[in-house]
Amino acid sequence: MATPSVADVIAFPARTAAPAARAMSSGVRAATAWTANDVDDWGRDNGFVDRIWSMSQLRWNTSVGGIDHVPRRAGALVVVNARRFALAPIFAALAIGAAVDRPVRFVGRPDIAPLGPVMQRLGGLLADADELEGVLRAGEIIVLGAEHEPSNQHSGTIDHRLVGAAIATRVRVLPAATVSVPLRRSARVEIGAPISLRRKRRGPLDELETADAAQRRIDAMLHELGGSLTGTPLDWLPIGGIGGL
Amino acid sequence: MAGVRVLVSGMGGELGARVAGLLEDEPWVGSLEGIDVVPPRSRLRRAVFHRIVAGEHERTVETVTRFNPHVVVHIAVWEPYSRATPTHARQFTDDAATSILGAAAECRALEAIVVRSGIEVYGRARNSVTRPNEGVVPHPTSRYGRTLLDIEDTAHAIGRRIGVAVGCLRLATVLGPHVPSPLGRLLRMPAVPFSALADPPFAVVHQNDAASAFVTAAEARLDQPVNIVAPGAITAYQAIRRGRRLPVPVVGPEWMAARAMAYVAGAPVPHHVLEMLHRGRLADNALAREVLGFWPSTTTSDVIDQLYAWPGVIHTGIEAAA
Repeated sequence: MATPSVADVIAFPARTAAPAARAMSSGVRAATAWTANDVDDWGRDNGFVDRIWSMSQLRWNTSVGGIDHVPRRAGALVVVNARRFALAPIFAALAIGAAVDRPVRFVGRPDIAPLGPVMQRLGGLLADADELEGVLRAGEIIVLGAEHEPSNQHSGTIDHRLVGAAIATRVRVLPAATVSVPLRRSARVEIGAPISLRRKRRGPLDELETADAAQRRIDAMLHELGGSLTGTPLDWLPIGGIGGL
Repeated sequence: MAGVRVLVSGMGGELGARVAGLLEDEPWVGSLEGIDVVPPRSRLRRAVFHRIVAGEHERTVETVTRFNPHVVVHIAVWEPYSRATPTHARQFTDDAATSILGAAAECRALEAIVVRSGIEVYGRARNSVTRPNEGVVPHPTSRYGRTLLDIEDTAHAIGRRIGVAVGCLRLATVLGPHVPSPLGRLLRMPAVPFSALADPPFAVVHQNDAASAFVTAAEARLDQPVNIVAPGAITAYQAIRRGRRLPVPVVGPEWMAARAMAYVAGAPVPHHVLEMLHRGRLADNALAREVLGFWPSTTTSDVIDQLYAWPGVIHTGIEAAA
């Protein structure tokens, strides 16, 4: 067994410091690479969105249906139901964006740092009709969440003033049902056909009736998808959804 | 339409000199005159320059009424800490607007006024629209924004009174070689502070694009406000990274120290730039294309890249100087 020399003892701190410095510099490089993306005209960061979408797939396996209804180039307002604490508009925007390979934004970011700017990087917009109008006029897709409900059984009410932005810019209003099972990984976003009113209105009733029609359509789609599910044998009980009351 | 008499106020500045240079090449411009405190910073062939200090009311009125312009391009706006302290900048801007626009109103031939404004007029109050278009009611939240809105109001009042077209070009922060910009100076420092909690996006516009917009607006007799903003956006951190500067994340009260250090280092940070670093500053630029057929040729990211590419000091050799 070789006896440690004095030189080894003296070199010891340097040997431990070098890997630490390397780890630190690689951490700095990684952080630098993570933040090196560009933002678009509304502050959405594509690289950041891609990473969050990849991370979200560890928790959710989201499938999207009805993509044919989403225009390829023009703007559209996708209205979704929202279960409390499920962040449905955000995940729906990420899922639809990945499916159509276009940036999709969502309504409902706060205007307070640091949460507001982070959500802006994800594509968040303020819940303001002027804000939505500008985005829709530029041919972008927006996901708007209805009021939160405790379950996926029904859609909450939809803010008709925000739907008015789509009416003003003459873009499609697409209803979409989002269903996720808390104890499983599966989640589904089903996009329906554009809302078309039988009777065209000239005034503000147009947006009100479009919002109501979207809510009714989402309710019907939720019913078709099976309503509220828990991922447990409770789902087999005839208390709701398919075969329920 | 030929032989149009055009008056450019603020011809001595970088932007004014550039606008005058472009107007000289326009076939519809008959004669061109300009007013400023300092002489133009580039060689002009046709333009006649009058050196008048802002506030010399009688001389301004005499010069403007004698020229009797068809179009007035009012660029004489001092951004705080660009070439003057905020107080002086406000005073010079007010004096110039009162004298020149007031004198223009006395001209019988006047057909249109084009005024320099800025997207600072929209303000960045909480829950204000992220990317306002011209339809959004201005609600400035900085002193500079209020100054710009005052100029717009003055021009509109004159326009209504004498029945001439008034176009306001709401420019994003103008950056260009030698443009005295507090934002440009701050970003070019070796270490640059940025908001660690927000780091919001903002947009800028290149000096040449801004100058082209003025010429297009003057020719078209623009009669409404239009945002002139380069496409794209960038955050302060991203800009710092592009310039290979040292980013200094700053939170809350640390900004006071950061501002003081920047002031000592020769890059004072006025309130509207501080507001931009905290709350961002974007604007919708679609109307410029629709109304003027104008689209900035340089993107925001490219302007920032060029900002770092411009040499700080140009060293001229002894032989070349001789």
